Amino acid sequence: MATEAKLIVQGLAHHYPDEYTGESVHALQDINLQIHENEFVAIVGPSGCGKTTFLNIIAGLLPYREGRAMVDGVEIRGPGPDRGVVFQEHAILPWRTVNRNIGHGLELRRVPKQERERRVQEYVDLVGLSGFEDRYPHELSGGMKQRVAVARTLCADPVIMLMDEPFAAVDAQTRITLQDELNRVVMATKKTILFITHSVEEAAFLGDRCIVFSRRPGKVKAEIKIDIPREERLWKDMVNNTRFTEARDEILRLVRSEVTNDDDG
Amino acid sequence: MTTVDTAPIRRKSFKKMITDSRAIQLVILLIGVLILWAIISAVIERPDRYLPSPLTTLFSSVDLLQKGVLTSFYADTLTRLVIGSILGIGLGIPFGLLLGLNRNIADMFYPLMNFFQSVSGIAIFPVIVIWFGNSNTTVMIVILYTAFFPIAFNVLSGVRSVPMRYISAARTLGATRFQIVKDVLLPGAMPSVAIGSRLSIGFAWRAVIAGEMLAGQAGLGNMIFAGQELDNTAQIILGMMLIGLTWIMLDHYLLRPLESDTIERWGLVQR
Repeated sequence: MATEAKLIVQGLAHHYPDEYTGESVHALQDINLQIHENEFVAIVGPSGCGKTTFLNIIAGLLPYREGRAMVDGVEIRGPGPDRGVVFQEHAILPWRTVNRNIGHGLELRRVPKQERERRVQEYVDLVGLSGFEDRYPHELSGGMKQRVAVARTLCADPVIMLMDEPFAAVDAQTRITLQDELNRVVMATKKTILFITHSVEEAAFLGDRCIVFSRRPGKVKAEIKIDIPREERLWKDMVNNTRFTEARDEILRLVRSEVTNDDDG
Repeated sequence: MTTVDTAPIRRKSFKKMITDSRAIQLVILLIGVLILWAIISAVIERPDRYLPSPLTTLFSSVDLLQKGVLTSFYADTLTRLVIGSILGIGLGIPFGLLLGLNRNIADMFYPLMNFFQSVSGIAIFPVIVIWFGNSNTTVMIVILYTAFFPIAFNVLSGVRSVPMRYISAARTLGATRFQIVKDVLLPGAMPSVAIGSRLSIGFAWRAVIAGEMLAGQAGLGNMIFAGQELDNTAQIILGMMLIGLTWIMLDHYLLRPLESDTIERWGLVQR
């Protein structure tokens, strides 16, 4: 069955002028990849490898000139609600309650109030924020804020959800919980996801496929399939899962070889 | 025995009652100031000229009230403040917002706005008098000028300081340019709108008094000035008290509630 991929990237490259020297920096080089429906693709690479630049291009926040990038067969030109983004941290609006943050995308699209409230409640429940609907972000923990960010993105019903190191800023315990929860949410919503991380463990735990970026200029160095059914992906079982540990060690080896080539990473 | 046991508890609860109630604190403070004022007034020579007692000041206000001048002066002054502030803030917010929308325009106008918000209304007063004479128009222009620049400057810098990630997030949710202004830039600039409004109204309040004095227009400022010429110190003190009390009321019933319902509720400022 040859279903069209949700995201198609062909020969994508990116240069930008350095803020201080003005010299052209080669950030991305000849990126080719496809993400299919209901697939979870994790991109991992050393810091400064251009993975966030890549995500910003897909999000439409950064214009590109070299190569092509398409979502559902439509060329990416600027941001749009078909590509929801979960940012690293502090990107939910402080002046909106949990409910109004989650429903913001629907509000912008002028979805009628009744329909909006129903959908918002659905996602509040999905990410486990019942009882916190009327709280403001500053009254929530870091983990809860990121739950709001995920719910806000999902509630707008994007074709693909882009996640830019969403759990990098929370503590280790919360991170594990959020990763387990994300698996549950992915199973429930069957979303297509592009996930950026610098954590090898996270990439191996969450990704159906993991793409390793080389250091700058970022290009696809390797691609590892992680064949573990999503129902089996629970942190308490993963330590003994050889498919997980093997994939993790393989990714780690590939990333390490990139880092050791360049000490400042 | 029982008195010894209960005494510390009673003392503690009394202390707590005082520290918990702002109203009681304020009353105690006021009584203290009045007593100190009365004592100083009682021990100095010629108190009527240098510092009339609280009671004398009170009588003077009754006298002025009966003549009808106090209410009319106070109304004149308040009217100027309200109109000047509303106009200044009403024009300053959209102006600051408009300049703030485009980062290049904002950067271009920033030094100019910074310049004008530092040149006080009193500093431009002489030139306005040359243009418009000692008139009510002169006073109103100075108030408007004084109220306009702090708010416009603060809104401009407030819009510029809204974190880019909020704007990006709204854009990826599909927000139009207008929706970004309404849902992100305006609420994001609220801390600056609050600071700017406070500065604008506070400066305007000073400008009203100074303007009335210098341009000789009827009002509280003029009443204070006349008090010196008439050798009526009680009248001067009365005017000073009305100015201060008016500001405290404005702060308590207008500015503070506005701030606690918005920027404090959103956790954008800590108090």
